[in-house]
Amino acid sequence: MKHERDEPERTRVRPFLARHGSAGRSDRRSVGGPRPFVLTSGRVATDGPYIGLETQVSARYPNDPAVSLLPAEHRAIVALCAEPLSVAEISARLRLHFGVARVLVGDLAASGHLDLRSGAISDPHDPDLIMRVIRGLRALK
Amino acid sequence: MDYARSSSFPTDPRPGIQPPMPVKIVVAGGFGVGKTTAVGAVSDIAPLTTEAVMTSEGVGLDEPRSGSGKSTTTVAMDFGSVTLDHTLKLYLFGTPGQSRFGFMWDDLVQGALGALVVVDSDRLVDCHGAVDYFEQCGLPFAVGVNAFFGQINYSLDQIRWALTVGDDVPVFAFDARNRISVRDALLVVLDRALDNALGRQAIPG
Repeated sequence: MKHERDEPERTRVRPFLARHGSAGRSDRRSVGGPRPFVLTSGRVATDGPYIGLETQVSARYPNDPAVSLLPAEHRAIVALCAEPLSVAEISARLRLHFGVARVLVGDLAASGHLDLRSGAISDPHDPDLIMRVIRGLRALK
Repeated sequence: MDYARSSSFPTDPRPGIQPPMPVKIVVAGGFGVGKTTAVGAVSDIAPLTTEAVMTSEGVGLDEPRSGSGKSTTTVAMDFGSVTLDHTLKLYLFGTPGQSRFGFMWDDLVQGALGALVVVDSDRLVDCHGAVDYFEQCGLPFAVGVNAFFGQINYSLDQIRWALTVGDDVPVFAFDARNRISVRDALLVVLDRALDNALGRQAIPG
């Protein structure tokens, strides 16, 4: 199927995510190195707070000139997070393995480039929260 | 990665844009049962999906329902979101209920309000992994039988019996293509989650 692509696919990160047929969109290109966790120096976790799929991330200093000194993957994450975004979305849009995105986001939070809304991990057993979700969904048309 | 921030730093921190509080519901089930369809039906962003042509790894193992016309199969995770109000955003994570994706499940279930298990009445066995997992970890869940072509081939009682789920687990038919039907399916999950949460509160201490 390779000949169908508009440009050479560089999916060294998540080869199983290759989009046959719809490839070629520039935002679908992978960033990264030969193996997923090379980007994280082999780390699969950081010391910081728990980062989940839905954890909201935003850039603290979107126009920080120092961002340009960061490695490409880090720059791409900061650029995406001008508006709050979930880690799952970062992972999908940059085609980074979720585990890799989580480590890089943790690093960027530790270095002050990103804000994590980690204090607001919702309590799934809070009846009031569940009621708010129910009311919100009922309003969907 | 140590960037000291001095007081002369050129740009001010952004004025506090408070991100919404994220909540999530897991949408689980076998291959080709309509998880992606269900997520897409209610999501207000185009679902970010990792759905791709089945890899050689999956060939022979994961046969989509014959006649469903589905040429691609979810090999990883797809998700969408519904902004309920400016403070609350619901994420829907679709996941194949397969043991070889088990590495993701802890992250999926952590903090989830509940799960919708989507089943195809002709291939009930596909959802066993998901049902087992949610029972084990105590996540409230409901079973939605996707009515392919508007019909299901067994009664809901037969399906409940075949799945051997508890009487307290809702089993109902829905249409994964229909936004209101999917919304109602999620409401069933949330009712179950609410019962569960109130039950916890009632236990003293």
